[in-house]
Amino acid sequence: MITLSEYFMTILITCMIVNLGLALYGVFFKPNLIKKIIALTILGDTANTFALIIGYRMWVAGVPSRPPVFTEWRSNNPLLLFVFTKTAVDPLPQALVLTAIVIGLAVTLFLVFLTLQAWKIYRSVDMRDIRRLKG
Amino acid sequence: MKHWIGICILILTILAISFVVAANINVLVPSTNVRTLAEIYLKYTYYPWDKYFTAMSPEACTSIVWDFRGLDTVFETMVFYLAIIGAIALARGVPLKLPREIKGELGLSLIVKTVTKIVPVLIIAVAGSIALHGHLTPGGGFQGGATAAVAPVLILVVFSQFYLLKRGVNKNSMLLLRSIGLTGIGITAFAAVLIGLATGHYAFVLQNQPKPLAPDISLPAFVGGQLISGSLWFFNFFEFLAVAAGFTIVFLLITLPEKLAEAKEEKHVAEGGEK
Repeated sequence: MITLSEYFMTILITCMIVNLGLALYGVFFKPNLIKKIIALTILGDTANTFALIIGYRMWVAGVPSRPPVFTEWRSNNPLLLFVFTKTAVDPLPQALVLTAIVIGLAVTLFLVFLTLQAWKIYRSVDMRDIRRLKG
Repeated sequence: MKHWIGICILILTILAISFVVAANINVLVPSTNVRTLAEIYLKYTYYPWDKYFTAMSPEACTSIVWDFRGLDTVFETMVFYLAIIGAIALARGVPLKLPREIKGELGLSLIVKTVTKIVPVLIIAVAGSIALHGHLTPGGGFQGGATAAVAPVLILVVFSQFYLLKRGVNKNSMLLLRSIGLTGIGITAFAAVLIGLATGHYAFVLQNQPKPLAPDISLPAFVGGQLISGSLWFFNFFEFLAVAAGFTIVFLLITLPEKLAEAKEEKHVAEGGEK
């Protein structure tokens, strides 16, 4: 029997796979360098979301999963910590994604600089023109 | 019109495929349990009953980023700075200087300028709180730095670049701030080793709380009753400085008025230099 939450989760993952395909198409087949960079950022964000889904924990009996932050740390209560470990989502993919986003932004800026340089020299950001010019 | 038909067909296909997949197999749905490794991380992120394994930070992500897998993050910072240094190297020779005279009014309208005088202060405040509370609430140095870098972008767009340059936010001051941040990360990473050398005990690089092989050396988890989680607070603070300054340099270089860059290049060629 299919539940609504399972159906929504499957829609999300199917959309991500379609998104991955569209982003790859953009990176490979769009001649405009700026559009290639946009497609690359979409590809990176899709990969990050996949990593987050891997670490996600489905709700148990209508109780939402918690973010991996132990907010009751002042109580010093081991029982609350046990409940926390049984309801929180996986923190490892989140930690990896956190740095990946910032590094992705830096790499995107680097690529934008390369494109700017190509525009200054060739006066074009179209791959077909740049290939013909050979300067 | 044709676009809409295509998009509708795509959406319907996705919904149908999802229904078929969800009705037949259950592999695409995350389970109600996480991996054992994740449970160990969640258990030991704040575990004052066993100091040898914990990072003493309620925020599991920050404790993974700067304690459990701290060496990974050091190399990730290196990758980040390779990209920033690459961008700066590509923009070498670009003059970041004030012109002798500025003609007319620069920037956007008065309304936008008035709002922008207020908003960057708030952005910097929020960024600082994200970075400095990184060991207690979701956040940390990377996120805080990326947030803080939004404020210079806003000023660049609304007021023009000369407004920032006139107030000392130029390439050299930001390079200095970035160097302070990176040096701070290095010193924090070696802090336990330095304390160990001074007191004659065994200690590790990137050590935060005591370890079974180095039980005598640890950085304080509480300072004056406030939880700072040992080295995590310092790592977050210095990473905040480094990331914010790195992004500000690149944004400054990327928004250079094109006329200025070209004028410099033409002068260089006229003097007999290579383009």
